[in-house]
Parts: sequence; C-alpha cells; structure tokens
Amino acid sequence: MATPSATQPIVHLSNVDKDYQLGAVTVTALRQVSLEIAPGEFTVIAGPSGSGKTTLLNLIGCVDVATRGEVVVAGRDTGKLSEGDLTRLRLNALGFIFQSFNLVGVLDAFQNVEFPLLLQKQLNAVQRKERVMDLLQRVGIAEYAHHRPGELSGGQRQRVAIARALVTRPRIVLADEPTANLDSVTGNQILDLMQELNREGTTFLFSTHDPKVVSRAGRVIRLVDGRIQAEESVEQFQSSHA
Amino acid sequence: MILIHIALRNLLTHKVKSAIVGGLLVFAAFLIIVGLSLISSIDKSMSKSIVNSVAGHIQLQQKGAKDELSIFGQMGSNEIGYIHNFAEVRKKIEALPEVAAIIPMGIDSSIVFGGNVLDVKLEALRNAVKAGDKQQVDVVRRHVRRMVALLDDELKNLKGFSDAAKMSDDMKQGLIDVAAANQPTFWDSFDQDPFARLEFLENKIAKMAIGEDMLMLRYVGTDTERFRKVFDRFEMVDGAPIPPGQRGFLFNKFTYEEQVKHKTARRLDKIKDRLAEGAQVATDDEIKLWIKLNRSQYKEITYQLDDVATAEVKLALQTELDSKEEDLPKLVDAFMDVTDANFSQRYEVFYKVIAPRIRLYAIRVGDTMTINGFSQSGYATTVNVKMYGTFRFHGLDRSTMAGAFNVLDLMTYRDLLGYMTADKKAEIAKLQAASGLKELKRDTAEAELFGEGAGEQVEDTTNATPTAAAAATPTDAPAEATPAALAAGSGGGSAKVFARELEKHVYTQAELDGGVIRSTAIMLKPGVSVEEGMAKVNAAIDANKFELKALDWRAASGLVGNFVGVIYAVLAFSIFIIFLVSLVIINNSLVMSTLERTREIGTMRAIGAQRWEILLMFVVEAVVMAIVFGAIGCALGYSLVAWYGHFGILAANDFMSFLAGGPRFYPALPGWGLPVAMVAVGIVTLISTLYPAWLATRITPLAAMQDSE
Repeated sequence: MATPSATQPIVHLSNVDKDYQLGAVTVTALRQVSLEIAPGEFTVIAGPSGSGKTTLLNLIGCVDVATRGEVVVAGRDTGKLSEGDLTRLRLNALGFIFQSFNLVGVLDAFQNVEFPLLLQKQLNAVQRKERVMDLLQRVGIAEYAHHRPGELSGGQRQRVAIARALVTRPRIVLADEPTANLDSVTGNQILDLMQELNREGTTFLFSTHDPKVVSRAGRVIRLVDGRIQAEESVEQFQSSHA
Repeated sequence: MILIHIALRNLLTHKVKSAIVGGLLVFAAFLIIVGLSLISSIDKSMSKSIVNSVAGHIQLQQKGAKDELSIFGQMGSNEIGYIHNFAEVRKKIEALPEVAAIIPMGIDSSIVFGGNVLDVKLEALRNAVKAGDKQQVDVVRRHVRRMVALLDDELKNLKGFSDAAKMSDDMKQGLIDVAAANQPTFWDSFDQDPFARLEFLENKIAKMAIGEDMLMLRYVGTDTERFRKVFDRFEMVDGAPIPPGQRGFLFNKFTYEEQVKHKTARRLDKIKDRLAEGAQVATDDEIKLWIKLNRSQYKEITYQLDDVATAEVKLALQTELDSKEEDLPKLVDAFMDVTDANFSQRYEVFYKVIAPRIRLYAIRVGDTMTINGFSQSGYATTVNVKMYGTFRFHGLDRSTMAGAFNVLDLMTYRDLLGYMTADKKAEIAKLQAASGLKELKRDTAEAELFGEGAGEQVEDTTNATPTAAAAATPTDAPAEATPAALAAGSGGGSAKVFARELEKHVYTQAELDGGVIRSTAIMLKPGVSVEEGMAKVNAAIDANKFELKALDWRAASGLVGNFVGVIYAVLAFSIFIIFLVSLVIINNSLVMSTLERTREIGTMRAIGAQRWEILLMFVVEAVVMAIVFGAIGCALGYSLVAWYGHFGILAANDFMSFLAGGPRFYPALPGWGLPVAMVAVGIVTLISTLYPAWLATRITPLAAMQDSE
C-alpha cells in the first residue's frame, strides 16, 4: 500500500507536454501532465489504448524527453541531461519490466539478470552471483537459472524480467503492461509477486488497461487523451467500473 | 566478458548468417594463404632460376643506354649500351664486402651452320682420296653423287615454285653449278682430277645445301672460367669446360638436344619421355604428330646413309620388321610407325643400328663451329670456335628459358660484336672511300649511337689476340676481319695454322677484363638481401662516378622478372574483388541481423547500456568472427600448402619448370603470410561491421517498448 512519506518524491512532473511529429502533423501525446511519485508507491497508470500511458512511462523512464515542462527523476531534471547521463540514470535508478519480457535470447536466466550489474561494473563476480541468485530465489525460478528464455514459460520469463529490473536495486521499477502477454492466472501470480516486492520496499509504477490489474493498485492515475483525467483511489475506480 | 559471450552466442544462434559470413571469411583467408604461398614460392624459386643461371642478383649496364637490359627478353641485340672500364668496375665492386663476384657479360644470338651432311661426306671423300683408299672412295663418292642428285631435284622443284626474275645472281649460278655436278660426265671424269672436283663440290655445291642445319643460338659471352665457378647451378654434362682464358663454346644441353640433335632421334627421345610419363600413343596428339613426322621425314635418315650403311640398315630393319621389303624408305616408314607395345624395342634398335651410321648431332664435342653474327656496325661477322662440351643449369634441365643460354668465351664474343674503336672507324671510312663505297650514312648513325669518344677507352680487341705474331694482314683489313674471322675463311694453309694457334692461345685476366662488354652480373654473398646489395652497389657507382646503372635481377631479366609482379597483381585484384563481394554480403547480412535484434538492442539500451557498449558488442562480434573463421581458413589453406609443400607439384611444362626452379614446385608459406591473412580478414570484417554497428547504436530504448500499445 502506498505509504505517504516525508522524503523527496522519486518522480516529479510539472506541466509536461509531449508532442510527436508525424510527418507534417504534430500529435500531442501528453498535455499539461503534473504528478509526483513517492517512494514505496504501487501506482497504476490506467487508460485506454492511445491515451498516452506508454508515453508517460517513457518520459519517467528516461527513454524519451518532454517537449515542454519538467521531468525530474531521482532528483535529476531529465530535460537537462545528456544522452549518456540519461542512460546512466536508467541503469542506476530505474528498473524496467516490459510487456513482452524482452529478455536477451542468447543469454540464460542468470545472465539476463546479471546483465545490468555487468553494465554497472560495481560488483565482483561473487557479489554478483549472490545478488542474482537471491533474486532468482525471490521470484521463484532459481532452478531455471541456466535455462535460456526460449525454454521458459511466459510467466517464468516475466519473473526473470522482474529479477532483472530489481537487481540494481532501483529507486523505482517501471512496468509497461506487465501482464498483457500473460494468461490471467499467471498475470495474477506476477501481480502478487510485484505486490510482495512492493511491501518489501520497492516502488512500482505500471501501466495497464486491465481493470482487474487496476483494482490491485494503491493509486490510480487515469489518462484520457493525454491528460490526467482524475486521480482516484482504488475504491473510486472500482465504483466507477462497477 | 559478457559481450564476448553474447557475440559467441549470437554466432551460434544465427546459424545461417554465421554460415554465410563465415564461409566468405574462410574462403578469403584460404585464398590469401594459398595465393601468398604460391606467389612467394614462385618468386623464390624463380629468383633461384634467374639469379643462379645467368642474371646474378644485380646487373650493371651503361647508364643512359637506349634500352633496358632484358636478359630473358627479346632475342637479338638491343641497344643496352657498353661497359668499357670493366677492369676498374670489377676492382671497386668486388671490394664491397657484400659482393661475392662480378662477371662480365654480353648476351646475343647468332646463326650457326652446323655444317651439313654434304660437308661431312665431302671431307670424308677428301680424306679417302688422300689416303688412296679406292674402295672407300667409291662408297663415299656414290653417296655424294646421290646427294647431289637429290639436291639437284630439290632445287629444280624449288625453281618451279619461285619467280626466276626475283632470284639473285648467286642463286642462279648455284643452280647451274648443281646441275653441272649432277651430270654423268662430272663423275665419270672424277678420278682424273679428284681434288679439282672436290674443290668444286666444296665451294660451289655444299653451300647450296646449307639450309637444313641452320641454328639460331643464344649465348652469353663471358669469362667462362669465372662464370662456371660463380653460377653454382652450372654443371658440365659432356666434354670438358673451356680451358681458362681460352676461346671456346659450350652448348646448353637443352639447346643441344632440341636443336643440334638429329630430328628423328630427338622425336624418338621425346616419345620415350612422354610414354614414361604415362601417356599412350593412341591418345596423345603430340606423340601421334611425332610419329607422323618420323615416318614422312624418312629422308633425314636415308639421305645420310651410303651404300654400305644402307645395306646394313636395310637388313637390320627387315629382321626387326620381319619383312621382305627391299625399299629402304618404306622400311624406315614402317619402322617408325611405333606402338605402345613395340616402342622400347624399336628405340633400342634405332640407337643400336641407325644412330651410329648417321650424324646424331650436327655439332659434336671437339668440333669447330662457325658462328655467323652481325656486328654492331651492321656487317656480317664470322668466327670459328671450338665446341668443348655441353652443360646444364642444375634443376633447370627442362626449362626453355634457362635452357636457351649457351656459353661463349669473351674474346670470341667481342670478335662477333665487332665493336669498333674510333680509330678503326676512321680507318674503315678511309677504306670505303678508297674502294668507292658510299656508306657514310650508316657511319654517322653509328657515331650518334655510340656517342663521341665512347670507344676511346676500349682496347682494340684485335690487338689482344696473337695477330701480330701469326699474320701480318689484319692491320690492313677492316675491323670485322678479325683473326678469328680470317681463320674461318676457306682454304689457305696459313689461316689454318693461325686458327689452331688462336684456339690454343691463353688470354690473361687483364685481356679478358680489359675489353668491351655489354653488362655485368653481380653475385651477392649469402645472406645479403638484394635491396641491401643494390644500395651498396649504387653507392659504389656514385662514389666512383661510373657511368653505370644497376638493375636487380627482376628488372634485368625482362618480362619474366615481371611475371611475379603480374601474378601478384592478379591475386591482389581477385582478393580485392572477393573482399568487395564479401564486404557487401557480410554487411548486408549483419544489417539484417541488426534489424532482427532491434528490440534486444533497444532493451539493452533501456536497461542502461551506453551506445559505445552496443558498438563494442558488434566490434567484439566482428573480431570473434574474423578470428574464428579467419583461423579456419588459414588452417585449411596452410594444410593445402603444407601438403603440396611436402609432396611438391610436378612442373607441367618447361616454363613451369623455370618458375619452379626445378622439376617440382614446393610451395611454402612465408612467415608473414599468416599475420597478413588474419589482418586482412580482420579489416574486411571490421569494415563490413561498421555500418550495421552504427545502425545499432542509433536504436533507441524506445524500440524496446514499441509493441506496448
């Protein structure tokens, strides 16, 4: 559950616009978006397809920059950062979970999880192994450590992906429709896992258009046509969809 | 670490791509290794052939000469200039610690008349007449008479074909003479004055039969003793080396067999060699041709047999063929129609029965041969010289190129060259003016060609011979009428004595070194590179202000020397093409694989991989590919080269044998071959990776999210 905290927000957006140039036409994906994410939140960005969920997630995930407005992630104004700095910020402060898992096909589960640590170049092999195995244990697939993604089920793959997102101990984990490619049972298991991890202190921000997923969020940010329509509590959301 | 891992895994995962790219790289590496081995080995063995036969490591020629030296190049003399101060050059160049020896040379070619069968038979007739051996005189005389009759027939046939109006007066007179000699009256009265008849036959008739044994010989006029010692591939086959300091001629065994040997015998030898190589009469076109020629050219044999020999050969062939045929030509025809089964028997019979009764070689060891050259001033020169024996260049027995070089002593060479000092030229001009000949045009041309004063240092070659002691005439004679040339003239007893004197005369080293030469070969000491030698020799040339130009063996040997350069270029070009194709294909296939991996790369970028790390990943992949496939290609190529290097490749023909420096060619990979091949493959791979790698770095992390909505 969201635990309001006195500490600095991890993510701070104020009056953010994002335009896309589609040929001669400028499409505005986000308009005047302002929000804050505090540590420990388990927040969902909800909305129909094309509402700007992914765009918002991309801005927060530092893979894209705002056209106007300010995006501050982990205390850094992303609009003022170089590409290299943005990459470093992603590496050290953020974790990513993708809809299609996006594991590196030629690496096994262990190596996939270890990959960000290798990019960080901070831990030695023993430390890395300990950290990776702990996480694989935590997400429940330690026994598949040396299987390549092709040999794993969707749910197992997403567990590997979660472990990879967490391995650098990021300030916030961003997940874009993490359950969209999973059947509902597996999806629920993944959400269970994320929730557990949230309780253990990891901040999650994920997008979905699945009402069942939304129902498990601590906080819902509702996007319609690139605007935050409403911030609702879960109860409000549930009643409006009842 | 992880990058290498990913690279390797990628290679294994994308099998088709790896197979295409790998195959190309393997092929390229293989080609480089094999090509380099072949070329560098050809280079090495050919340099052996060239350097150790005639050229030496470095050749010197006159600076500013119109033509560049071309030892294996065109026949005949070209304008390569003259070296007048060889003695001094030798002193300075041989003083260099890098130089093993310097040998004076002049390469030229001339016509040699082997002396025809008629000549030989006339000599036999003269000897028989002198000895008063009536029976022998009869036998030989009948043979000569038959030969004259044949000659007359031939000439009459010839006359029928050619335009009488265009015939020279000499030729017309010759025809009349031969016809006269073919009259019964000529022979009926032979005994009345045999010597007068003989003289008529020798002087008027023999020359009409001259055509058949005309040889075009290429020779190197040199200090024969030093040549023999310095060129270690030189070895005597028959006869003896020319005694040091004396005049003489040595046949290259190759030329001797090809040109001097009786044609039928030579063809039989060739058939024997070919059969020994595993060919069969029925299927080998060349053998068939040789047999056909042997059968149709039966005259080559029958013409040479007198009555006695004819009877002997007839009997032997009848026995061999189990035939009652009485006509010798028909017997020879049948005898020469050899098959796989009877060849060795026939070959043996030929050498046992026929060969001893014919002239197997037109010129034999110990004979004096007449060389007809054209002097530099355009006059015909004729020189008699003794043939001491035959030699070969070891390992180059079958090489047409090296085999064409015969050896002639330097003094005789100079006589043939007929190079004139300024004094001599003036003298000739005077003589010509006196005799009313107007050939001034040619004279001025010479002056331009040779340059003023060029001849001043040249010792008059005639002065170096025992001229003064033996004869008084030469001083008044034109320069071309050197003592040797005089000796070649017909008749006169004093000239014969003089010729014998000349043959035995031993020239001093100073005389040999003192005269004019065309070029010099320099042999370097073992371990001295040609480049180093060239530098030192050039320095010595500059220091002594010699008017000389140094050429390495490659340049000096003419077209052949460039051969390696040409194949290098061909190989380089084909490798270039293959690399270009590889580049395009590899690039293409990597671009495809990059596009396939867009999401993966986008994910890596999203997770926090920097652009350069992506680039590095591609570079590592390229390097791994280059190393793995390059190594495979090198290993394959090296195995092939090692295989052939061990067993050798049979030199298929004479030219190959020259290139191979021996009968078999042993390729070997030069030490730098492997690194060159690997680096080349590496460069190609890296270049073809550049674009796909750059594309990959352009992939944004957004690519990881693309299917999200």
